[in-house]
Amino acid sequence: MYGWVGKILKIDLSSGQVTTEPTEPYIEEYIGGRGLGVRLIYENYVPGTDPFDPGNPLIFSMGPLTGTAMPGSGRVDVTAVSPMSKLRAKSNFGAYWGPEAKYAGFDHIIITGKAEKPVYIWITDGRVEIRDAADLWGKDTFETQKMIQKDLGDPEVKVVCIGPAGERLVRFACLITETGDAAGRTGMGAVMGSKNLKAIAVRGSGGVKVARPEQMLKRSLEVIQFMREHPAYQELSNWGVARSMSMMYDFSFFPVGYFEDVAWEDIINNYKGPEYVEKFQLKNTGCFCCPNRCMNFLDVPGLGRGVTSCEPWSGFTGGVWNLDMDVFWQATLLTNRLGMDCTEASASIGLLMELYHDGIITAKDTDGIPMERGNKEAILSTILKIANREGYGDLLAEGQKTAAQSFSREALEKVDQVKGLAPHAYEFRAFKASGLGQAVGHRGDPLPLRSSLLEVDWHHAPEWFQQVAKEQFGSEEAAIPSEYKGKPLAVIISEHMERVPDSLGICRWLYGLFIFNDVEMAANYFNDVTGKDWDVSRLLKTSERVRNMERMFDVRQGLRRGDDSLPKKFFEQPLSKGRYKGAVLDKEKFEQMKDEYYQLRGWDKETGIPTREKLEELGLKDVADEVLDNL
Amino acid sequence: MKTLIIDAEKCSGCRSCETYCSLKHYGVCAPSKGRIHVVKWEQEGTFVPINCMRCEEPACEIVCPKHATYRNYATNAMAVDTKSCIGCLSCVFACPFGATFVDGDTGKVLKCDLCDGDPTCVKVCPTGALTFEEVSKEAHLKLLANANRIPSLVKKAIGEE
Repeated sequence: MYGWVGKILKIDLSSGQVTTEPTEPYIEEYIGGRGLGVRLIYENYVPGTDPFDPGNPLIFSMGPLTGTAMPGSGRVDVTAVSPMSKLRAKSNFGAYWGPEAKYAGFDHIIITGKAEKPVYIWITDGRVEIRDAADLWGKDTFETQKMIQKDLGDPEVKVVCIGPAGERLVRFACLITETGDAAGRTGMGAVMGSKNLKAIAVRGSGGVKVARPEQMLKRSLEVIQFMREHPAYQELSNWGVARSMSMMYDFSFFPVGYFEDVAWEDIINNYKGPEYVEKFQLKNTGCFCCPNRCMNFLDVPGLGRGVTSCEPWSGFTGGVWNLDMDVFWQATLLTNRLGMDCTEASASIGLLMELYHDGIITAKDTDGIPMERGNKEAILSTILKIANREGYGDLLAEGQKTAAQSFSREALEKVDQVKGLAPHAYEFRAFKASGLGQAVGHRGDPLPLRSSLLEVDWHHAPEWFQQVAKEQFGSEEAAIPSEYKGKPLAVIISEHMERVPDSLGICRWLYGLFIFNDVEMAANYFNDVTGKDWDVSRLLKTSERVRNMERMFDVRQGLRRGDDSLPKKFFEQPLSKGRYKGAVLDKEKFEQMKDEYYQLRGWDKETGIPTREKLEELGLKDVADEVLDNL
Repeated sequence: MKTLIIDAEKCSGCRSCETYCSLKHYGVCAPSKGRIHVVKWEQEGTFVPINCMRCEEPACEIVCPKHATYRNYATNAMAVDTKSCIGCLSCVFACPFGATFVDGDTGKVLKCDLCDGDPTCVKVCPTGALTFEEVSKEAHLKLLANANRIPSLVKKAIGEE
């Protein structure tokens, strides 16, 4: 086979049994990566199984393009049932582990069961070994990787692991590889911890066969040249996202605090991220074979070294009313070393700060630490206490709702979550497609979607982006933040677009968001590598199948239309300032957008459940029979 | 004569060089078949590409019992005649830089052939860590760059700065 290496690996940690099955029967309908991963979890998960039960399968999915020479081919999709939502989890990480797993011989790895004592898995050239991890238990993610490389006597072994947060089943614990590449959201670290599994180490001497190597090489030389001249590449490869932060706050696109308000003058005028990069950046780094280096590798004397990308730059600044970049960096390193999702961590701290600000809690509720906005001790201690499950941190480790509930009913009312997760930190009152995408999204945080970023791009050149919107998303209004019109179709198209790179095992920042704004280039590479001749519409049709499959998994878990919503704050509390002063979501128009979304999708408007007709059209009759007939 | 010059400080560790090398030579994406290799200390942010140095007195050529390693005077690259190579790995261990690699499938030696004078790795390197330049010109530029530093170092040494 070209592209795929041909095998799905299944490891049962309870019995120690290791089996494989061929990838090939699935690829025509699900491709690989995220798409095939959703089919695998549908088949391997028994409804009713608790997320922390040994039966919850933890699935790593590489795609046919993972590990190829094309830019951005280092991605891995991770799924299980999430301990945060009991819905299908979805996380995705980059760096160098995925390619190595394919070179070791596997397209997908399914882990079930629970080891009797702490272990790690060692996979090399088709062989699997379950090794003792007693010495690793309690170690942070940086130490763990080094110790495993030493244990195996090979510094080039790639490791994905959990930190103390995952071991202690912090519900939003994540997976970490290298110094900051994370399968961040939906609590995959906690699922791994519940299996007594500390890490998975991979090393392979194999490769990915390419059907049309000369064509691929020729294309790559052109693509690399194109990328080098692209303004997004120039910016990301030198600065990461650091320089765009002030702009995002100025556009009122990034919320300040716990979605409290926007346009905090201090952060617009005094955001010191770029200066921090100038002073402490060793270099920019990226994932496997990627010329685009979007990760900042910072080396701050006394604080430590490592990479960061996107979210901490806002989560640990505006999200917690903090302007001290040393605190941002300490918080980032801490969450990465302890192995917890920085987005949920910063949101959890943000919640405490708002409760304190509103007088709903006092320092007594938080072990004597005053949760003042921007308070350094509040930020750093909370992170440590969550990972160590100490005091109030133990409550937060169970989730924002559990913690709030323990304070008071008033506190519980303040929690802003979507499907059990902190929503992506975008301002949904002013940006309607972003709001819709978030509400109907597959995990409570599907962003960034192209339809959402289009609403940001619009500020730079409204007329231009309205034309783009008309061509790509069906209407000019799709690009205008305040418009409700045209948004449902734009969200649907974007949802299908994002599933293409996710299923191919490549980076969606490159193939769908920042460098290439559609999936044509991804399709070209898919054909070069696999030798197939699929057009864009076939890839997008596969995405639609995957989207419906994901939805049906969650419907089987009990998801309905009512869950596709946003916190009431966004409907009741207008923005008090900034360029979108007064903006708020209109409940009726919002529900109308959802109606239109379901109708365009071929889903039942009342329940939000895909119709049998749609499922059969997509070749999912077996799923319709099993799920729809048992509702 | 041009040669491949490595500036490790610029390397981001992306491994494009290794992977495109295997794609170019074997039509497969397999860094293990690359004739260049990046040694990585990912927690330090230090990455060092290792490639044949095309020595004036190549240990690999001297130790080869079958005379399978020889210089291609058209490119100055060291070449390996895979038909003669018996896979004894003498050259691998004799190389002072560890820049001679082994093809795990055939057991024979992999050596950078500079893609016949148009190295693919240089074209795909995103940071300029790999360049293909005239040796004499680059050596001269290096000399000038070093010389440039001397006045300020002198001032520093005598405490004027």
